[in-house]
Amino acid sequence: MNIFNNAALLIGVPLLFAFSIPLFGLISKELAKWVTLLTIGFNASFSFYILFAHKYPTMVVMGNWLPPFGENLYIGPVAAFLVFVISMIGLLIAIYNLWAIKKGDVIRFSVLFLMFTAGASGIVLTGDIFNLFIFMEITGISSYALAAFGPERRALGGAFKFLVVSSIGSTLYLMGVTLIYTQLGTLNIAEIAARINQTTPGLLTFAGILIISGLAVEAELFPFNGWVPDTYTGAINGVSASLSGIAAISAVYALFRIAMTVFGKSGGAYVSTYGKIDLMALIALLATATVIIGELSALSQKNVKKMLAYSSMAQMGLIAVGFSIGNKLGVYGGIFQLVNHSIAKSMLFLIVGVLVAVGVGENIDDFKGLWKRNPFLTLTFSIGAFSMLGFPLFGGFWSKFSIVAASVQRGGWYDFIIGLVLFASVVEAFYYLRIVAYMFASDVELPKVKTPITPAIPIFILAVSIVAIGIFPQIVGTFSAQAAGELTHKMSGYILHVIPSIAAH
Amino acid sequence: MQALQIFLQNWIYLIGAMAIFGIGLYITLTNENIFKIIVGLDIIESGTNLFMTAIAWHPKAVMPIYTATNQLVVNGKVVSADPLPQSLVLTAIVIGLGTTALALTIAVKIFEKYGTLDVRKIKEAKR
Repeated sequence: MNIFNNAALLIGVPLLFAFSIPLFGLISKELAKWVTLLTIGFNASFSFYILFAHKYPTMVVMGNWLPPFGENLYIGPVAAFLVFVISMIGLLIAIYNLWAIKKGDVIRFSVLFLMFTAGASGIVLTGDIFNLFIFMEITGISSYALAAFGPERRALGGAFKFLVVSSIGSTLYLMGVTLIYTQLGTLNIAEIAARINQTTPGLLTFAGILIISGLAVEAELFPFNGWVPDTYTGAINGVSASLSGIAAISAVYALFRIAMTVFGKSGGAYVSTYGKIDLMALIALLATATVIIGELSALSQKNVKKMLAYSSMAQMGLIAVGFSIGNKLGVYGGIFQLVNHSIAKSMLFLIVGVLVAVGVGENIDDFKGLWKRNPFLTLTFSIGAFSMLGFPLFGGFWSKFSIVAASVQRGGWYDFIIGLVLFASVVEAFYYLRIVAYMFASDVELPKVKTPITPAIPIFILAVSIVAIGIFPQIVGTFSAQAAGELTHKMSGYILHVIPSIAAH
Repeated sequence: MQALQIFLQNWIYLIGAMAIFGIGLYITLTNENIFKIIVGLDIIESGTNLFMTAIAWHPKAVMPIYTATNQLVVNGKVVSADPLPQSLVLTAIVIGLGTTALALTIAVKIFEKYGTLDVRKIKEAKR
């Protein structure tokens, strides 16, 4: 156990600057946006340092009270990698926002955006099950407000729906946490995880179902994902990008930290959970339903943003399926798919944002003949689409491949996942390639449109990283293999790093 | 008689809290008026908070503050109420306040832009 207290800056600095942005805003609105950019830039470079100087696994201990007595942040392979991805995508979206957010309350938008990234990093870093709830609410409340931002009135309906569903979800989560607390008398994730078999199985199952349904709201799993299409369509594109790129990562992390580390049995090749029913199998069922419903709904959409929203839902289902296979390869594929999805989906939303702003529009018919009007956005959109549907030499191929390989390894009824992934790919191919075909093949004569420089930078970087991951999958692969090791071996991967003296059960 | 007493002392708060939670959920899910949905959310939050406070308490509990007359541990058994869930409830109340305030703000904005608080009418008035 080594202690690296400076890592608390990953949460502290964004929160500090979030609340001091109104002061910078007194000077100029542009300055507020640049402060946001620089703060997330600090987070990105600091997490880059932690990841590549191999500072992890490490811990932040508040006031020198060692866990389980004090609150702690734990930075293992999972947290180090995911915080890096969150802050990099946040940085790129902040660059896009420099150009996109001109009208409206720029200063409060910046405050909310910083709190959003701080909360998402907090979810990934924290080692305390109640602090997880608090960071969920920080992320949640700022994302409701972000989703309501913008000139269009449809944003309000989506944001309200999101608020209602998500706050019911977090209440359920809180109830589950309280039930576990009554059994074990602790809120530290590592100690709960080590002593979880001392609880009453019936109560534990009830608590587990409450917690899983609470977390499934943000992780967009069926039947808790009714908010997704309205919220993603209504919100301005920068916000949709950050919901699918940043909030999705933290939500999936929270779901599987609870399901695998807290409830999971240690030992054994495949993670299963304590209690009367196996929560991992429950998640697998929910995720399967999510994939099928999401893909089929995406098929019939005429609006590209709505299509991307349903596709995002389906992809989250696919990620959860990958995790819920429960062996190392499956978790590897899940994390890989998570990173690919956040990169590609946030890029697609940013591209739609640019296209709407330059006057092309967001319906599928507006994309006809885009290749002649603007080659750059056409190419990057196609790269994102190819990565989504798992075309070889693009990022998505490797993750879908490892999910299929993991389900073959597991065997039994998990074999149907092969069919599920293929089904998802075929349907995705249908609706993404339809747009790609429209863009390249139609000969509609319309005036050319110019790409603004500022939003082109993040789109270009994201597109290059998709291709780079496709050609050199070990860029993400090394880290997600380490992360899979942490999640599948709860004793040696997590608990013993946080509380070395704890007795194995 | 004694069974009823034990029931009243130990379980009534927990069951009442769950009942309040259920009432709030019913209101939220069945109402078409946005304001009533927000009221339902608030009732859900109250139910949860009551549940958490009730869980930390038992009929013979003393207050969790150590003084000369208030012994927290008697014969090796802890007799005080558990103070930690109560502090969690404080946090949850503050978060609930924030959520409610934001929900009401959005409701005001919806009324400004659509001229109604009825969910069905908002759905009909596309974009």
